[in-house]
Amino acid sequence: MPLRLLKNAFSDAPDPRFFNTPRGLRDSYDVVIIGGGGHGLACAYYLARDHGITNVAVLEQGYIGGGNTGRNTTIVRSNYLTPEGVKFYDESVRLFQDLAEDFDLNIFYSERGHFTLAHTDAAMRTMRWRAEVNKHFGIDSEVVDRDTIAEAVPMMDLDCGGEHPVLGALYHAPGAVVRHDAVAWGYGRGADKRGVEIHQKTRVTGIRVVQGKVTGVETDRGVIKTGKVISMVAGSTPRVTKMAGITTPIVIHPLQACVTEPMKPWLDTIIVSGSLHVYVSQSSRGELVMGAALDPAILHSTRSTLDFVEGLADQMLDLFPFLGNSKVMRQWAGMADMTPDFAPIMGRTAVDGFYIDAGWGTWGFKATPVSGKTMAWTVANDKDHALIEPFSLARFDRFELVGERGAASVGH
Amino acid sequence: MKLIHCPKVGTRPASEFVYGGLWRPMPDPDSTTDMEWSHYVFHRDGAPGVQREWWCHAPTGMWFVAERDTMKDEFLRTMTVAEAMKDLAHG
Amino acid sequence: MARRLPLRDGEWIDRGRPLRFTFEGREYSAFAGDTISSALLANGVRVLGRSFKYHRPRGVFSAANHDSNVLLQSDSDFNIRGDVTAVADGMRLTAINTQGGLDKDRGRFMDRLSPLLPVGFYYKTFHRPKALFPFWENQIRKRAGLGRIDTQWPELRLPKRHGFCDLLVVGAGPSGLSAAITAAESGARVWLVDENARAGGSLNDRQDGTLRDQLLARLAGLPNLTFLPDTVAAGWYADHYVPLVTPEGLIRLRARAVIVAGGVYEQPAVFRNNDLPGVMLASAALRLARRYGVAACESAVILAANNDAYRNALELKALGTDIKAIVDLDDPEARGDLHDAVKSAGIAVHGRSTVYSAEGEGLLAAVTVCALDAEGRAKPETAQRIDCDGLLMSVGYAPAAPILYQAGTRMVFAEIPGQFVPEQLPPGVFACGRVNGVFDLDARVADGAAAAGEALAHLDMQTGPAARPGRSSERMSHPWPVFPHPKGKNFVDLDEDLQLKDLERAAAEGFDNIELLKRYSTVGMGPSQGKHANMNAVRILARLNNQSIGATGTTTARPFYHPVPIKHLAGRRLRPERRTPMHGWHRDHGAVFMPAGHWQRPKYYGPAPEAEAIRAEVMAVREGVGLIDVSTLGKVEVFGPDAARFMDQLYTLKLSTVKQGMTRYALMVDEAGVVIDDGVCARWGEEHFYVSTTTTGAEAIFRQMQRMIGEWNLKVDVVNRTSQLASMNIAGPLTREVLQPLTDVDLSQAAFPFLGARQGRVAGVPAWLFRVGFVGELGFEIHVPAAQALHVWEALVEAGESKGIRPFGVEAQRQLRLEKGHLIVGQDTDGTSSPFDANMAWAVKLDKPFFQGKRSLQILKERAANRLVGFRLPGNHPGPIPRECHLVIHDDDIAGRVTSIGYSPSLKAWVGLAMVDKALADAAQLSIRVEGAVIIQADVVPTPFYDPEGLRQKPETAGEVSA
Repeated sequence: MPLRLLKNAFSDAPDPRFFNTPRGLRDSYDVVIIGGGGHGLACAYYLARDHGITNVAVLEQGYIGGGNTGRNTTIVRSNYLTPEGVKFYDESVRLFQDLAEDFDLNIFYSERGHFTLAHTDAAMRTMRWRAEVNKHFGIDSEVVDRDTIAEAVPMMDLDCGGEHPVLGALYHAPGAVVRHDAVAWGYGRGADKRGVEIHQKTRVTGIRVVQGKVTGVETDRGVIKTGKVISMVAGSTPRVTKMAGITTPIVIHPLQACVTEPMKPWLDTIIVSGSLHVYVSQSSRGELVMGAALDPAILHSTRSTLDFVEGLADQMLDLFPFLGNSKVMRQWAGMADMTPDFAPIMGRTAVDGFYIDAGWGTWGFKATPVSGKTMAWTVANDKDHALIEPFSLARFDRFELVGERGAASVGH
Repeated sequence: MKLIHCPKVGTRPASEFVYGGLWRPMPDPDSTTDMEWSHYVFHRDGAPGVQREWWCHAPTGMWFVAERDTMKDEFLRTMTVAEAMKDLAHG
Repeated sequence: MARRLPLRDGEWIDRGRPLRFTFEGREYSAFAGDTISSALLANGVRVLGRSFKYHRPRGVFSAANHDSNVLLQSDSDFNIRGDVTAVADGMRLTAINTQGGLDKDRGRFMDRLSPLLPVGFYYKTFHRPKALFPFWENQIRKRAGLGRIDTQWPELRLPKRHGFCDLLVVGAGPSGLSAAITAAESGARVWLVDENARAGGSLNDRQDGTLRDQLLARLAGLPNLTFLPDTVAAGWYADHYVPLVTPEGLIRLRARAVIVAGGVYEQPAVFRNNDLPGVMLASAALRLARRYGVAACESAVILAANNDAYRNALELKALGTDIKAIVDLDDPEARGDLHDAVKSAGIAVHGRSTVYSAEGEGLLAAVTVCALDAEGRAKPETAQRIDCDGLLMSVGYAPAAPILYQAGTRMVFAEIPGQFVPEQLPPGVFACGRVNGVFDLDARVADGAAAAGEALAHLDMQTGPAARPGRSSERMSHPWPVFPHPKGKNFVDLDEDLQLKDLERAAAEGFDNIELLKRYSTVGMGPSQGKHANMNAVRILARLNNQSIGATGTTTARPFYHPVPIKHLAGRRLRPERRTPMHGWHRDHGAVFMPAGHWQRPKYYGPAPEAEAIRAEVMAVREGVGLIDVSTLGKVEVFGPDAARFMDQLYTLKLSTVKQGMTRYALMVDEAGVVIDDGVCARWGEEHFYVSTTTTGAEAIFRQMQRMIGEWNLKVDVVNRTSQLASMNIAGPLTREVLQPLTDVDLSQAAFPFLGARQGRVAGVPAWLFRVGFVGELGFEIHVPAAQALHVWEALVEAGESKGIRPFGVEAQRQLRLEKGHLIVGQDTDGTSSPFDANMAWAVKLDKPFFQGKRSLQILKERAANRLVGFRLPGNHPGPIPRECHLVIHDDDIAGRVTSIGYSPSLKAWVGLAMVDKALADAAQLSIRVEGAVIIQADVVPTPFYDPEGLRQKPETAGEVSA
């Protein structure tokens, strides 16, 4: 039994606060981060820890981690298709692996193995492409056959009820799930401890730009002077970029998910099927956490639809026919900021002092540490970090898209 | 499931409709710069608000234009493509 | 002691139909209509489960599915809600989440460990050392989870139905009944649903059934009113789309308006050991007594904070319960007549007092009652013990408002009656009864009628709705039913085993807004989704923050109201599959199928092994004659004065110059210049074209065409012929010998040149013929009406029998086209490939006035970063063979990938296509990394690999590039 538990026996006193509530906004900050989700808090953390920049305000219109950080299905992996993507997410996975130590906070980082099922020859080709690119960069990733899947997930119906049988899969042993909230709290606590101010329930209403340069931020609690603003707001990106006077390719589509009632553990791995549009893992609480594809139409809302959960349930029974009596307890949605090439948009922009970290679509949570780290470096040095150079907004002007779309029809 | 009003077919459940993205007049390709063209191709006004969009009633193949509040997911009105064009010419 | 009461009118059980079932290995009796919980209580069984975390004994608490104390496991189901699930004869049940059974649960020790496990403890431990976390996580996973699933259970799917109505009324209590009846009497089509087995709601729990009987009599006479018992309105979705969960399956109901009359959840008080079996909501005791004829206890203390408590005391006394005392948190004098009534019934009343703790080992034996000080805190020095086996709480309510919240209702907190009430309702959504803060019985009936009037007005069925009776002027919910005890064990959330101190601690650690509190402590996240817990959590947080309840707010209510089984959501299995007219023939002739979108296509024809069969099929086409079903390709006819312009604007080549009776390759890019589809375009007339699309692109491309007609404002019509026409391709040097006898079309070189298109008859069937060459031999594509296609196919097979005609599948076709260097969109190209990347600059006519993607292609012409090249493995290649998507490596970096590869029996060599960095396009060799990280060398060679001059398919025009 860990000693930490025994300590609780002798003291009923709560631990120190994770984050403080600053008295009010100050007149100016060196850096203002818009968005108190995982990315914003991570960036604040690394600005303070790695670059000694602590005169930082994180402005969050709701509460910490209340956006997509708390709405995703918590999967972490690096088996992307493009070299740019693989290098970037590999760094993220490495950071994730040490995060609990860094934070002294258990984020329940749990390597469960990640199967992306292929039901068609075309999907098998894509799996091989990904595996080859992954292996090139030293990522643990391989194409496996039906027998290997059957051994690892014996309860799954590889025939999927008849149509579209599973032909094979891409297997990624380091694929993990994490307690998503804890990631945000750990970064928040670490940033707060180092002097960063986290202002919840503070809504940004305008960005002041004078002669192509950021001079301040307007909020519903007053105006702040600053020369550096980072937009890390996922689903609210178009609203914020508009304030800074720039346009981007980003459009917002809802991404829905749901959980079942808890049950005793039976599913140890993470299962994704692009063809069936489902992904599922079982949390440490025993709930099945499930998601599917993006909603087709633009929408700035986190409403749920019945069609989503009906379709998901239908496909889940193809894979796991015995689930008929398990019950879906809760469904929800996040707002995914989609780009045309399914790769993020990061770094400096045409407005001096305005930095963007967006285009996170359905893969933002797994990029939390690396985004925070590279954006902090970029802001501290006013130069795009090497890992994010391919993700600049200007790539669209040059028709130099990142080819991630090929693998990301259901990119979880 | 939402109901959507097609100007020709009438009101039907959303599952019968296909979303076609924002309704955006194309700039003259011959007189735009490369930069302007790339912005037309890739950039979008993605901010929430009332947008004009392409929708198609799939069983009939009827394309039409809808004004939709992308914050509330409310269709304010739908019109035929001809009506939308006329609207644009006058608007 | 719990027991069965004597028979009474109006009860829901049928004492003439006894049932048997087992619980924890012991056999018990029940009556038809009993819930599992009521039957067990009737047998004197009061400990029905163990709690989630501490494994504390638990019993019936709400008897209404507002807690998850009684969750059961059977041979075929898990997490069964005992409070609301009817007993079935022969059921074999156990409690979930025990180790070694309910009584001897080895998990009991967790209760004593609880001081070590404060809220969020798991975030602060087990992560060091890192290597041990997987061990601890495994322990946690085993302990977490509720019931057990059996992976051998059969697939269960329940059929779905659709329903349509003018008005849906959710909840058949007094206000819901009144609303439904009023609306139906005005002619509206009304559906009324209730999760209980019978209508009447709380009217069923009173001695006086007059009002219920009156309402039910009116209900019975209305043919336009559908009442569904045992039905849960599980959520609200846009445009009044409500899933109704019935025992038979899901009904997707589309209403034009919705009235929510879902009532309230009675709320517990928070005090020490408030989870002990025997402590329950007063409504639970009444429900058990009236509906199921079960006394939940012999002697009860009532914890009171509203007038209902006094009425409940009198009702229960009339049922034979010994009411030891009413402990009123407020001043009993304010209760007026009710106070007098209980006094004259001989019930002791302790005013301005509370139950400070519940006492007993695993079962309630007594309560400790303390007087309250001026701030509402218990004064321990005034403690007195009252023996009882039931403590029944009537201290307040929370509105059953999830449906209202989901619909977008703004709710505000009203100090009187002491709950959240609707402030602003969305159009078409109405609330009445207790969920609306209306408590007086007559007022609830009037509120229902008024809501019906408003709904009818909304539906334009009646004007001038009746006035609302107004909300209760009595305080029904105590503002602070929370009584801390130094020894703790005062539970706020029974599902999650959360105590008052857990919430205090969470807030003190910085999780001090309602959403963060929920996420850190997990309050409200259990199976009952906070129905008995959220309101107290909000009160506690409001007090900790020194905020009003309104300012503290609530968490977002999301679907579902109660968890919904996957078998309901999934419905019947429906997997549409498209089959060509020749599908049966293929099947009967040994075809092995592969999916292509919704279609199934022959991959190859057995019984020979795959490689052997494909090779034989390829050779048949090269040396004899072969026949392939290509019906899955999209087929579109284009008509109109602007047809030629339309085709020019849609495709990259100039199609307006195609002569009548001729065809040309057609390549389509999107606005960004990315290749998205290809096909063959034929011209039948000045204003009449016919074009094919890829199989998987057929639907989207046709839709795109329909859209562009409008966007470009052209006088064009398109007709999708994909399903109407079937098509087959006959190819090989012996083609003419087989086909000519069957057709009136002159197939001679002179009459029917390469890339020609003709109309005529084949095997007596009207047919369109195209002389095209995807596979690189003399060949004709034949398009015929789908209904007659099998006849034509069989005629060709018969005619070709003497020539050794052979059907071939998709794999042989892929190999044949690869030999010709023809690309497959989506395999040899990807989501970023322009025609320049695909080495198809020849197919882009930038001198055309305008076409889709032209401006982007002008930009991309100089910038395309890749090039599709052909390669061939040296004849003496000894090593492993590359596979599709193996990487091209240059200077230790990724420089491309193999997109297609195959062994060409004609060339006796491995040939393939690779998408490589442009810089490598002119290299002599490519390094390809194959299985086992071995690098092999391949020669870059021009395409086509086979018959580069095209002599075999068009001997008359040797040399011209074709497709």
